[in-house]
Amino acid sequence: MTESRVRVHVRGGSLAPGEPAPTGTRRRPPIHHAQRIIGPGSRLTLALVAALLGLLAVGQLRGQANVPGLSILSATELTQLIANLAAGNDELRGEVADLGDRRATLQSARARGETTVDDLTEDLAAIRAWSGLTPVTGPGVAVTVRGSIGGDGIDDLLNEIRNAGAEAISVDGVRIVSGAVVAGAPGALSVGNQALGESFEIRVIGSPQILTGTLTRTGGVIAQIGATYPLATITVTPVDRLTLPATDRTLAPTYSEPRL
Amino acid sequence: MSTLFAWIRRLPTVQVTLSVALLVLGFLIAAQIASEGPRVRYSTEERTPLIETALRLQSEQEGFQAQILALRQEIGTLEAAGSGDAEELRRLYGELEAARISAGLVAVSGPGVAFRFEDGGLGVDSLVTARDVRVLIQELWLAGAEGIAVNDERIVGTSAILDIGGSMIINSAYLAPLYEIRAIGPPDLYQRVQASASFVAFVQGRIEPAGIRLSVAQPEVVDLPAFAGTVSVRYAAPAPEGGG
Repeated sequence: MTESRVRVHVRGGSLAPGEPAPTGTRRRPPIHHAQRIIGPGSRLTLALVAALLGLLAVGQLRGQANVPGLSILSATELTQLIANLAAGNDELRGEVADLGDRRATLQSARARGETTVDDLTEDLAAIRAWSGLTPVTGPGVAVTVRGSIGGDGIDDLLNEIRNAGAEAISVDGVRIVSGAVVAGAPGALSVGNQALGESFEIRVIGSPQILTGTLTRTGGVIAQIGATYPLATITVTPVDRLTLPATDRTLAPTYSEPRL
Repeated sequence: MSTLFAWIRRLPTVQVTLSVALLVLGFLIAAQIASEGPRVRYSTEERTPLIETALRLQSEQEGFQAQILALRQEIGTLEAAGSGDAEELRRLYGELEAARISAGLVAVSGPGVAFRFEDGGLGVDSLVTARDVRVLIQELWLAGAEGIAVNDERIVGTSAILDIGGSMIINSAYLAPLYEIRAIGPPDLYQRVQASASFVAFVQGRIEPAGIRLSVAQPEVVDLPAFAGTVSVRYAAPAPEGGG
């Protein structure tokens, strides 16, 4: 280790390391350089500054990490998020209860040694209906679209219909399931392989009140589409009973394997 | 200049250290204040309880989703055990499992592609929007994808994708950037997407001018989660075949 050739400041002059103290100066026992120049007060100050620095650095890092999270949302957006989460949680709570009942039924049937044909059939019918593999019927709305509109406008409309709690949707008689897309420029719209004319109907099963209210509210999706496509006309009619067909798409996967 | 260096050299080390530390402290305080800048307009007393409520609801939602997946798994096991050796039951159970896989209720793996959307740094227009994600999902469906997920949310026929501030809500779940869109499909899924005129128009007309970063990977295996939402219906009932 090399010795540092620093001069140590002492009252009345300075000394190089190893240099004898002038006559009349009382030589202090050798002490560490830092100990000598940093008194208890300075050390406390340094410790406080270091602590403050650490706190601020952590705060800064946390602040950066929170940027994509809830901290970027305004009070209005947070309220909207809370409403969405609360409504979603209500549905999930109901699903948990339904599944719990179903499990209890199966456990009870198994304990009694009964077959579960009816249970399996009922479950199969429900999943097929939900996923679009079988026709469904129920109340909802009929949305008539007329005039010049692009695929992006219809996508916005379908997205809002889903957001309003649609349980099943069809466009011009084609059931909308995973993979079924309405796309194309105005005048060249198609759903799947089927071309859509200047006028077509979207049928939706769900709450007629919620669907109508959500779609037709002031400043809502229909108003927004009207701003982009002023030549398009969209009307919403509540219907007591609608029937939607099954999809003609093959939903069975070719490339996907169940993950255990 | 040499006088300045000489003066600095004469300063006790502790003073130099303290000065540097205080300088850094000042810089950090300024940075902290600056980083709070865009959020200052939201910094009202009412936000704290709102954030706490949102976090609580999010945590509750994650709990429900975990319960749903676990219950579905348990029900599947009970049904499998109950089907025993009876041929009709075995057939029914097989159909049920196939229907669950087709409906997105089972986690799956397969060949595919993963896109990643990141906000650009050019202002509000360079934030990734729900529309951007929906357009990419549409392109993937059109190219032959048979399953898609955004972050941990499986996309199904009833999935709505909504903007909320600079973030999104999908299947009622809150997602913050960045967004990873994973799809399973034919091995040439990415080539098919790339060849689509509407995808090229989307990239050239929206992604590039806005400075949004869109990257792509083609892993050997893409994993998709099961849909952890509700499949119970209140209004729709199975109808006789041929209805329309």
